[in-house]
Amino acid sequence: MTDSIHSERITFHDAIETMEVDFSSMTFADVAEVDAIYDEIDRRLTATGQRWFFLVLYTDCVIAPEAWDRFAERGKSANINHGRGSVRVDARAQTREAIRQSAGRESFRSNIYDTRDQALLALGEMRKRQREQASGADEVFLRVENVSLRFGGVKAITDISFEIKRGEISAIIGPNGAGKSSMLNVINGVYHPQEGTITFLGNVRQQMRPHEAATHGIARTFQNIALFKGMSVLDNIMTGRNLKMKSNMLQQAFWFGPAQREELEHRAKVEEIIDFLEIQHIRKTPVGRLPYGLQKRVDLARALAMEPELLLLDEPMAGMNVEEKQDMCRFILDVNDQFGTTVLLIEHDMGVVMDLSNFVVVLDYGKKIAEGTPDEVRADPNVISAYLGASH
Amino acid sequence: MAFFLETLLGGLMSGMLYSLVALGFVLIFKASGVFNFAQGAMVLFAALAMARFSEWIPGWLGTENLFIANLLAFVVAVVVMFVVAWLIERLALRHLVNQEGATLLMATLGIAYVLDGIGQTIFGSDIYKIDVGMPKEPVMMLESVFEGGILINKEDFIAALIAALLVVSLTVFFQKTSTGRALRAVADDHQAAQSIGIPLGRIWVIVWCVAGITALVAGIIWGSKLGVQFSLSTVALRALPVVILGGLTSVPGAIIGGLIIGVGEKLSEVYLGPYVGGGIEIWFAYMLALVFLLFRPQGLFGEKIIDRV
Amino acid sequence: MFYRENGQFKTTYKADQQAFAIPQDRWAIVALVAFAFIGIPLLVDEYMFRAIMVPFLILSLAALGVNILVGYCGQITLGAGASMAVGAYAAYNFMVRVDGMPALAAILLGGVIAAAAGIVFGIPSLRVRGLYLAVATLASQFFWDWAFLRIKWFTNDSSSGSVSVPDINLLGWTINSPTDKYLFCLGFLVVFTVMAKNLLRGNMGRQWMAIRDMDVAATVIGIRPMYAKLTAFAVSSFYLGVAGALWGFVNLGSWEPAAFSIDRSFQLLFMVIIGGMGAISGSFFGAAFIVILPIFLNQMLPLIGGLFGLEVSIALVSHVEIIIFGSLIVFFLIVEPHGIARLWATGREKLRLWPFPH
Repeated sequence: MTDSIHSERITFHDAIETMEVDFSSMTFADVAEVDAIYDEIDRRLTATGQRWFFLVLYTDCVIAPEAWDRFAERGKSANINHGRGSVRVDARAQTREAIRQSAGRESFRSNIYDTRDQALLALGEMRKRQREQASGADEVFLRVENVSLRFGGVKAITDISFEIKRGEISAIIGPNGAGKSSMLNVINGVYHPQEGTITFLGNVRQQMRPHEAATHGIARTFQNIALFKGMSVLDNIMTGRNLKMKSNMLQQAFWFGPAQREELEHRAKVEEIIDFLEIQHIRKTPVGRLPYGLQKRVDLARALAMEPELLLLDEPMAGMNVEEKQDMCRFILDVNDQFGTTVLLIEHDMGVVMDLSNFVVVLDYGKKIAEGTPDEVRADPNVISAYLGASH
Repeated sequence: MAFFLETLLGGLMSGMLYSLVALGFVLIFKASGVFNFAQGAMVLFAALAMARFSEWIPGWLGTENLFIANLLAFVVAVVVMFVVAWLIERLALRHLVNQEGATLLMATLGIAYVLDGIGQTIFGSDIYKIDVGMPKEPVMMLESVFEGGILINKEDFIAALIAALLVVSLTVFFQKTSTGRALRAVADDHQAAQSIGIPLGRIWVIVWCVAGITALVAGIIWGSKLGVQFSLSTVALRALPVVILGGLTSVPGAIIGGLIIGVGEKLSEVYLGPYVGGGIEIWFAYMLALVFLLFRPQGLFGEKIIDRV
Repeated sequence: MFYRENGQFKTTYKADQQAFAIPQDRWAIVALVAFAFIGIPLLVDEYMFRAIMVPFLILSLAALGVNILVGYCGQITLGAGASMAVGAYAAYNFMVRVDGMPALAAILLGGVIAAAAGIVFGIPSLRVRGLYLAVATLASQFFWDWAFLRIKWFTNDSSSGSVSVPDINLLGWTINSPTDKYLFCLGFLVVFTVMAKNLLRGNMGRQWMAIRDMDVAATVIGIRPMYAKLTAFAVSSFYLGVAGALWGFVNLGSWEPAAFSIDRSFQLLFMVIIGGMGAISGSFFGAAFIVILPIFLNQMLPLIGGLFGLEVSIALVSHVEIIIFGSLIVFFLIVEPHGIARLWATGREKLRLWPFPH
């Protein structure tokens, strides 16, 4: 195995911003072989310094069971580090199933197409959507202007302004008590700022009720997981579909007919989300019995069920171990990727922030001290001194 | 005009009586965050104890002296209330720490029923007398100012004085003593108070004892006026609007609220009643409370109720 | 061993969505309902019907109403008796003032009026909760107590607020025997329970439970607290109103305001607490308990007293009853806030595993 063989399998198509990887007829017998090709892939990607769509060909590709986990892991990290979206091609359904089953999870569940042409079509759709989101910037997606928030004598937020672009993942960071959660609460209407305005999708307003924010397409998760402890996971997520349910009480009382149809329709949608977040095995469990990490996933699922334009995540990684964090990162990226949801998250883990976000706002003591891309922010002296050398 | 003043004063007096009961509510809520629906039952239980013991003690000791009988009966009743308080804390409240308000409310409802049942089993369910030497005759006052004077009930007057005394001493207790401070800390946050070493159980017993004594005083006064009977426990229900008006956490609020309700009830009955068929006392107080709940739930003097997000 | 789900796989969401997903459950319920309609009338005597079965059915319906509001939506109420009163008197007025009004319609309309009143007196729930809300509902209770006593129009100028109605005639079937009354009320209960089950497992039920569990989070998802709370009051009052009308028309025949006093409100609340909040079966357990306990005590206590040579008076029995109710309330709130229904559910869980320990 030499570099040159592998480099043949990697092709960059600049016009469609895609990297094509040809795994066809390859055999991965062990971990070393997986690493070999992925090292090459990573090297080539890093060299370009930008993000790509991935087009991966799997025809007649055979992956030994010992190599599976590593294969899945390398693919995942390639996506996180360099990806904008992926499509996969495989002619044979058996292989598809084998991939799914061996992976033990649905990592490769979707975006599998029968022919290269179909895959390229889907890729085109994905690119178009991302472009639309990026260019829809004549309509302001989310702009925070001169917002100030006080609780009695305590100034939580002082004169903060920033703007979030559609389709991006943005992050708010800052030391504890900087006002990050308050900022999120202001955006989604839980707190009402004394000064300033929020513009969302072109609508300017100073105050909004939380449920109005919800109808306008803003969903959020909570730091302390505000799940409905008395209900099962499935029911919790179904509450997220509330705004989309139209049948009235009388219809629901009689169940058969429109109410039942609607219920089943939304159930199907919710099951898609459950598949997406890999929580099938706990769907009937009462939420109060779940460990913290899974509860956070259900919280996310419920927010996703609203099919929001803007997803506010309040410390989604808090209290998670490394694997859970990786999973959550993957989910966030996929949400942004597949559904086109704009994400604004609060996070303390610098690694996560740097990997995930396109844009970062830094708060300290209720004021904005920096904003920009992750790299710009990381190098900003104000930010460094605010954190006083907290290293990650 | 004289009639109006009479009604007014009558209302003030009966308001004082409500305040006495309301005080018990406020005390317990202030100190433990528990809304004690059983306060009325406690008043009745205390009054029953007082009444029956003052009957039985002369028999046991063979003395005819009313004063001694009453004094001893009072002491015994106080002890009884302490025991009741201790039992309530031990058997029920201790296990319901930090449950939400509605649960505690329903638990005290259960306790009220238990107290009612036990009280009637031990002391009987007839109407009993309490005779502590309260003057029963009304008196005419201010005859020089108004023709014929104004009719004032001496008993109510003395009751008002006692209530005022009780309020002053309680306010001093809460504000100035360390126990009072501990009580206020507990009311604010059970767990925080525990974590700085305040013995929750003991504090609660103290609170319920104080409430029990208040109930006893209220019971004696009401019982002396109305006779000790079952309907006394419904007095609690009459006193509820008082705490809503005054604020659940305010001792002066209980007094002012009581006065307002007392006056309001009397005036509305006399002046509004005839137009709507009479008997509106029963819900006037509650409607007033309802209005407050819609516009100012914390009452006149209570602390603002904050919901944490 | 018999009650296991092994081998029962649901292949469609529809199958999973059913009210009774386990076939054993379904059969059990069908059998129970069949027994109720057919078996009981054959087995039970008149006294049992009048003293136990009919009150049990009607109070179950009422408890179901209270459970919807308190157990599923988390809004405490001490004014359930008033809702029953409104239903009863409204139905009475419809019967008496509208010529040829069928009794069934009057009863249902009584429920509708009760629902309207419930919405109005439920408005405080938008501002306050917990014990403050309890006080607000007391205002409703006392107001209606007074209204039916003093406002002559409501009671057709009866001086004491007491009214009476003739036997119900339903499409030619005159309901006067205890068996008739039993079947009539059973029909109501079955229909209303099915409706409640449907509402509670659908979107409305989820909204109510969301408000109960964490209403701030609920608003963030887009649930409107006003809509959820007021509909809970409306539906609950509707059930209570119908139950009240049934109580007056079928169980009593003639009644006065005291039949729906605050004691009734407490009684209903107790049923729900003991039986189980947030569980439909809890309403039934609670109602059964409250109806049967006094009768049970009436028989047992004199017997027990006789064993010790004590004379047990009727007064004593009623006192003991009160003591037991109160103690049970406190007991359940401490030990099993979800009442008998939870104990029953736990028992069933164990049954699913039986004879294996886990």
